[in-house]
Amino acid sequence: MTTILPTPAAWPRPLLGDPPEGAGAADGPAVNARLADPADLDAAVRAGAFAGLTRALSDLGATLTTATLSESGLRGRGGAGFPAAEKWRAVAATPDDVRYAVANGYEADPAGGTNRHLMTARPYAIVEGLAIAALCVGAEEAILAVRAEYADAVATLELAVAAAEEAGYLGEDVLGSGRTLRMTVRSVHGAYMLGEETVLLKALEGRRGQPEQRPPYPSERGLWGRPTLVHNVATLAAVPWIVVHDAPAYRAIGDPDAPGTVLVQVSGAVAAPGIAEVPTGTSLAEIVGLAGGVADGRPLKAVLVGGPSGGLLPAELAATPYTFAALRAAGAHVGSGSLVVADDRTCMVDLARLLTRYCADEACGKTIPCRIGLRRMSEIGERMVGGLARPTDVQLLADLGADIVGSALCDHERLATGPLATAMRYFGAEFDAHVKRGVCPAGVCTPGGVAAAATAHGG
Amino acid sequence: MADLISRPADRIPGPADLVSTTRPEPVVDSLAERLFRTQSPQRPQSTPVIRLEVDGRVVEGREGQTILEVCRDNGIEIPTLCYEPKLPGFGACRMCVVDVAGEEHPPISCSRLAEAGMVVQTQTEEVRRLRRTNLELIFSDHNAYCLPPCQNKCPSHIDIPGFLKANAEGEFRESARIFKRTIPFPSILGRVCPAPCEEHCRRDEVDEAIAIRDSHRYAGDQVILAMREQDIDPPLPFELQPTSGKRVAVIGSGPAGASAAYYLLIAGHDVTIYERDAAPGGMLRYGIPEYRLPKEKVLDPEYESITRLGGRFVCNQALGRDFSLDDLQNQGYDAVVVAIGCYDTNKLGIPGEDADGVIDGLEYLKIATLGLPYPGHAGTRVVVIGGGFTSMDCSRTSVRQGASEVTLVYRRDMKDMPASGEVHEAIEEGVTTIFQAGPTRVIANEAGKVTGVEFIRMQLGAADASGRRRPEPAPGTEFTIECDRVLLAIGQGPDLTWVGGGSAGVEATKYKRLRADAVTFLTPRPGVFGTGDVRNGAQTVVQAIADGRRASYAVDAFLKGMDLGEIRTRQTLAEPQPEFLSIVPFTSEVKAPRNRLRSMPAEERRTSYIEYEIPYTPSEAVAESTRCLQCTCEAIGFCDLRRLGIEYGTTLKTLEPQNNRGAGFRSVTENRFTGTNHDYIRDDSHAFILREPSRCIDCGRCANVCAEVVGAACYDFMRTGFDTLVTTPLDMSLNDTPCVSCGRCAETCPTGALMPKPRILEKYEVDESRCILCGICVDACPYDALRCGPDFELAHVSREEPMIDLIAIAAVDRETEMTYVRRERDWLERAIASGRDVGPRQLPVLPASLAGSANGNGAGRASDPGNGHNGHGPAGGGSAGHAHAR
Repeated sequence: MTTILPTPAAWPRPLLGDPPEGAGAADGPAVNARLADPADLDAAVRAGAFAGLTRALSDLGATLTTATLSESGLRGRGGAGFPAAEKWRAVAATPDDVRYAVANGYEADPAGGTNRHLMTARPYAIVEGLAIAALCVGAEEAILAVRAEYADAVATLELAVAAAEEAGYLGEDVLGSGRTLRMTVRSVHGAYMLGEETVLLKALEGRRGQPEQRPPYPSERGLWGRPTLVHNVATLAAVPWIVVHDAPAYRAIGDPDAPGTVLVQVSGAVAAPGIAEVPTGTSLAEIVGLAGGVADGRPLKAVLVGGPSGGLLPAELAATPYTFAALRAAGAHVGSGSLVVADDRTCMVDLARLLTRYCADEACGKTIPCRIGLRRMSEIGERMVGGLARPTDVQLLADLGADIVGSALCDHERLATGPLATAMRYFGAEFDAHVKRGVCPAGVCTPGGVAAAATAHGG
Repeated sequence: MADLISRPADRIPGPADLVSTTRPEPVVDSLAERLFRTQSPQRPQSTPVIRLEVDGRVVEGREGQTILEVCRDNGIEIPTLCYEPKLPGFGACRMCVVDVAGEEHPPISCSRLAEAGMVVQTQTEEVRRLRRTNLELIFSDHNAYCLPPCQNKCPSHIDIPGFLKANAEGEFRESARIFKRTIPFPSILGRVCPAPCEEHCRRDEVDEAIAIRDSHRYAGDQVILAMREQDIDPPLPFELQPTSGKRVAVIGSGPAGASAAYYLLIAGHDVTIYERDAAPGGMLRYGIPEYRLPKEKVLDPEYESITRLGGRFVCNQALGRDFSLDDLQNQGYDAVVVAIGCYDTNKLGIPGEDADGVIDGLEYLKIATLGLPYPGHAGTRVVVIGGGFTSMDCSRTSVRQGASEVTLVYRRDMKDMPASGEVHEAIEEGVTTIFQAGPTRVIANEAGKVTGVEFIRMQLGAADASGRRRPEPAPGTEFTIECDRVLLAIGQGPDLTWVGGGSAGVEATKYKRLRADAVTFLTPRPGVFGTGDVRNGAQTVVQAIADGRRASYAVDAFLKGMDLGEIRTRQTLAEPQPEFLSIVPFTSEVKAPRNRLRSMPAEERRTSYIEYEIPYTPSEAVAESTRCLQCTCEAIGFCDLRRLGIEYGTTLKTLEPQNNRGAGFRSVTENRFTGTNHDYIRDDSHAFILREPSRCIDCGRCANVCAEVVGAACYDFMRTGFDTLVTTPLDMSLNDTPCVSCGRCAETCPTGALMPKPRILEKYEVDESRCILCGICVDACPYDALRCGPDFELAHVSREEPMIDLIAIAAVDRETEMTYVRRERDWLERAIASGRDVGPRQLPVLPASLAGSANGNGAGRASDPGNGHNGHGPAGGGSAGHAHAR
């Protein structure tokens, strides 16, 4: 079961829900047990579910709801950080008469678990958020696309959707408004790439999951060629809270440029791995501190921010605030919201090439720089850790990475060069040690393995 | 509540909104509509015109067109590998990236809509770099060969497998025509070419290399014979172009000049060839002895192909002596081609070199090849210095002129000798050869007459730029050869004394050659081109001919007013060839030894100028050509990857040396991204389409065309990551897919991964008296050419109906999440469910291997002649209308 990390009581929790009355500052796990059955509609309504939908339908209307969202400054939590309200307006402005709203619950990152937790623990927040979004953009069909491996999340959401429909929150004539909203849960099989929105849409259409060139964006041509609003489930889960508490309340949380909270998952070499809801702008060091700091009191060497295609940020950058802009400037990205902590026993070259190989193997194979280029990058990394590197390899890696970014089709391709690029940027000395001296400073790989063994034998 | 229903409610209606709020016509979602939409990505031409800037030019396009479409409409080429004009941009190859002002990353032009006022550049350094990286990546996993090694190593890149195939079929005239596409003189080259092709012949790995040179010699001789005896014009390699009205002067009638003239004549230009000597041919006539190249029998008739095309030879006119470049250009020649060759023999640079009896080898040959005995040559002792073809000709001619003793001295090893192939013949004729010795001084008597040459032994040092080990003198090893005559044949340079004065504006390089560009052949003087040995220094005949031909393309482009600067940037005329990519080992070939030309006995050769090699008989010529393994990619000439690899210099081992430096070209072996690669198995199970997945670059064109245009969806991307391959589900044979053999996949394939299968159509006959009606042929036939009829007898089926109903296949709903599971088996139920009339036509008859119980194939077949359709449609027995009993 996922551990919820204790956070200061003063931090608001629009996503995980406010702590119950009388809860202590550090009783995070208790929150999880607060609702014995997350799919219990009555309990959820008592806790405030569907208040946002009611308000949006009866008081605000589409224009004002979108305006509220715009004012709140909510940005997409799928990784790219695009302003949510702009997407809504773009979809609503299209002349097409059929539109779709899709919640992306395909959590691709193998180290990520935030979406899964959200879907199992707070299904009604997602259903409600998706319903508000769909009604505001004029979509009559909404799809919750969930990774099929998350059987618990699929089951919980299916129960939640069925209960909500029965209670009149969904279906024909939503809350007596005359509007129709059919919501379905689709479990999709696929690979890492399905986290990308155009790939997910292709999979929903029953086609091979391969990205499409953007523009046109899905808001213009998406599912079945229709305008489609695609949001990560974490984005949608924040929407009801914003509608209920109004924009200024949300705006006040976290970093002014990208306000609100984010769900982060801290794993790797930390004392207590788990999930936490933190305001944006919290520093990386603070987030790692929530998980009890580096395990065994070892020094922090690097944090992998953003999943397998994230950036490897060194300990010196631990003060970096967790915001879209700051992370991007540092070479990382929000991505799946995962932070993997590496202590001093980690070899950065080895870790970076492993991550690149993962991204290369998960590529859909559509474009040449991605299919062959990423593999070649990981092969260069393998040469380095295996002691077969050529003197020109560091430069070659940099050149190839830049060219892949330059001609990339989708963000996977562009970001997958990140681990090696940031590792070279922040741990250049370690690369030099591997390539030029045949030494692995962390003692992980055996770049000079053959020579070392021969010397040991002779001595 | 209301505003949730009226959609664009948060926008104030205004004049602009009137356009966007207009609801489009309701989309009729019929199958025909959908097919129409998928098959017509082109926008109607009634959309407003927009103007944008491409490469500094303002061009017009239509709203809704992509950048690529606008560029193509305006004749601006952007490289693509995955773009299929019938379909919307796919964006897999990333080759069509262009620079758009104000964009961080260059967008791909096949998917990006053109906008008014956009500033686009298609050839910036950055996008060319990105394209080159992409190509390098493709080649790092392109486990396929391209050109056969023989064609690759030929300086003129003759289609060797092509003409050998024609030879093997006994089509010697066609063989000569194929040969003449790159070299006009198959018979001359068949005698004098050093045949670098044969050194690299892959048949050598089986037994012995093919006699390529002797094979085209035979074909060329047949053409000459037909011309001589029946006055049949030699075959033309290309269609003769209408007269252009442009006049070209070619100076020099040697191999380079003649070759340039030949192709310029075919291009429709008026060509006059100026020759210094009394008869045309240059070095062919005055440098190569009669016994190697008969003048009347071979040279004259092959040169006649130029006069038959309308070319004029003006002899006894030398540049610098009788006319200048000014004179020619004042006479109204639109272009002048300087191809005067190399006639200045190099000096030894040793003491005593000017002694009486030291003779310029070329001067000697010029007199000897005229058939005249060189004065006082008989009975003398001759030393020939040099290792090239001239030295060999000097030695062997000296033997024929009665020299009492002929010694050939060369400073390198025999295997490094340019004319090493002829050495054994020279030795047979009585020439003494000494290798690894260089002259130090010429010894003369008091009268200044040569009495001998002192040599020093050479040892071989490190390899030089040519890959041969550099000879270095070994002190204390001097020795002397007594002789009466010394023939110098240590290489030649061009005579450039005519430069300046009336021929100003051209210049010499630091190697004392005529300066002319390697791609455009332009000299610094406008309208004057340089080609052949005068540009390159002394080379072989085949190199000179290749240079002359390529120069003719440049001259033709110049005369048509094309931009030679662009030609130079994009190397379109450079004719560089991709490096040989990989070797497929041949193991189980039937071994057959090479058919060698027989020679006259050496004793007879010593005194005779008659051609000493005895030509093939027709059967020998066919037999020798049949040995060719045809190891060529079938897609040569159609392969976009090859073309782009050449343009971006990613496939080339060697380009023109002067382009090779600094321009950043990398060859396949110098590819930065070598690593693991795939080796797939060739699939030739289908009768018409040959699949060679190792050549596949995963552009997806076949998959898209097959799914969107044809509707059969035989291919898709399979597997993930680096192992992704566009192939059939589970790599099954095309016979097991819904393939309709339309061939569109092979048509769209940019490489040779999918090709129309070369096949010889045969007629089959069925002996019905032997048929026992076992039905095995019906079950086995992958194309349902045979069917069970309604009668208990063999029935013949009319094939007027399409084999598989394309519409029915297109109607298959794509409702599964895995594309490769296609529901072909229950097409009928769904066709009926969707209200389609499945009655009178024979609807899809799937291959037996796919047909499940739904089709009713199998046991019930004999009694259910309608392929099991009876129960479903109103015309269940419809097949009876097509099948009639015999």
